[in-house]
Amino acid sequence: MSQNSTNKQNRNERAERDESADPTADGMDIQTDVSGSVAASAGGSPTRETVVSAKHISVWYGDDQALSDITMDIPERSVTAMVGPSGCGKSTFLRCINRMNDLIDSARVEGDLYLRGKNVYDDDVDPVALRRRVGMVFQKPNPFPKSIYDNVTYGLKIQDKGGDYDEIVEESLKRAALWDEVKDQLGESGLELSGGQQQRLCIARAIAPDPEVLLMDEPASALDPVATSQIEDLIEELAEDYTVVIVTHNMQQAARISDQTAVFLTGGELVEFDDTQKIFENPESQRVEDYITGKFG
Amino acid sequence: MPRQEYQESLSNLRDDVLYMSEVVAERLRLGLDALEQKDREIAEEVVGGDDEINQMYLDLESECVNLIALQQPVASDLRFIAASFKIITDLERIGDLAVNLAQYAMDADRDVFPEVDVQQIGVETLDMLESAMAAYANDDPEACYAVAERDDDLDAMCEAASSTVVRDLIEHDPFGDDDADAEAYLQDISRLLLTIRDLERIGDHAVNIAARALYMIEDDAELLY
Repeated sequence: MSQNSTNKQNRNERAERDESADPTADGMDIQTDVSGSVAASAGGSPTRETVVSAKHISVWYGDDQALSDITMDIPERSVTAMVGPSGCGKSTFLRCINRMNDLIDSARVEGDLYLRGKNVYDDDVDPVALRRRVGMVFQKPNPFPKSIYDNVTYGLKIQDKGGDYDEIVEESLKRAALWDEVKDQLGESGLELSGGQQQRLCIARAIAPDPEVLLMDEPASALDPVATSQIEDLIEELAEDYTVVIVTHNMQQAARISDQTAVFLTGGELVEFDDTQKIFENPESQRVEDYITGKFG
Repeated sequence: MPRQEYQESLSNLRDDVLYMSEVVAERLRLGLDALEQKDREIAEEVVGGDDEINQMYLDLESECVNLIALQQPVASDLRFIAASFKIITDLERIGDLAVNLAQYAMDADRDVFPEVDVQQIGVETLDMLESAMAAYANDDPEACYAVAERDDDLDAMCEAASSTVVRDLIEHDPFGDDDADAEAYLQDISRLLLTIRDLERIGDHAVNIAARALYMIEDDAELLY
């Protein structure tokens, strides 16, 4: 059995344990209002508590609608993959979760998006505070032109967060599977690392403030196969502790590492959201079938 | 349609599996003819053709492996390739069993138990094989179930035929004073029982094919054992 399957299986077994340990932890209670056009929660796998819950989210850039009435629940401590053709709105949806769309003047968001039950679009929510709880990793590794150490502590310093920085740096770099490679050069610039190392540094930077959700927008698309598999292994490990939502153009990557897959198609429509195995073995929707088998377009 | 080469490979695989099934069905038909007519020439044609079927099997196996390795098929494409991969094994086995029939035909020089209608059983298995392959070719789930249902009747026919032979063996003393006659008689009977068993197995392989076709069409494993 592959490492990936083992990790997925571990996550499922843990979720089952959690479920049996706490009979009140019934995810269905949280999955209210699924009146959207598709089943909003992925079926089949053990019930996990919902962390991110989108209710009728639509997004416009000026007059162009990028997302159309998205309703879905993302379960905790798992990997949820967003796939679909370019321009289908998957990255837009990702940016709704930490309100990165606020930074785009022409963007307009309608609907509600709950993080652990709290609507992140409520007036009393500070987007900066929100982004501490929802970390993000981008397509191109973008370390700051600072030392490795300062890259990891950057978020903590902005937040004036106390604590033992040395310990947090070590812990974050270990979790990002980078510690062994850089522990003797923490004072050197992050930009001197290889592409794969830079991306793992960015992941360490994203997890240092201990977020609840980790958003990844094509985190491995600029990396070679070896660096890609390191990032994929890392994502699987991170899902032990974090809720990971990843946008990817690489179908096989989604199939390898995710527990749930959401398929967005042209027009910003969420066409199907289900267990990854179901999506890749026998999707309900013919349009999804056509897309993932390559007959689309 | 994008991925043109991939789509063509899938279409070729389907054509090649269907072609293999036609060759196997033809060999089964010839094996039955050889039995009926005690025709050595026909029997030799079936035996000699087995290498061709084995080679087709190996070629199709690598066609499937290449598609999986190079194209990462998913969803219905994946089920189609997985089902084809299994179906060619059943076809190859049916080819082997047709060779068995031909060998029995070469060994036999007289009819025993004319009341046991081997040809009737044989025609039924041939038809089950062709129906199962038609279900695969036409994505027809109902036809898959129909093949599986016919297997009970086939089993009953085979059991009845075997009982006829065995009962006769017990009830009548077929052994005269001549040891050579008794030996020949025993060989005839063994061959007949093996023929019946092999035909029954061909039916089982036809059901396997129908089961894989149903999995392919509807992701439904109900007929798999």
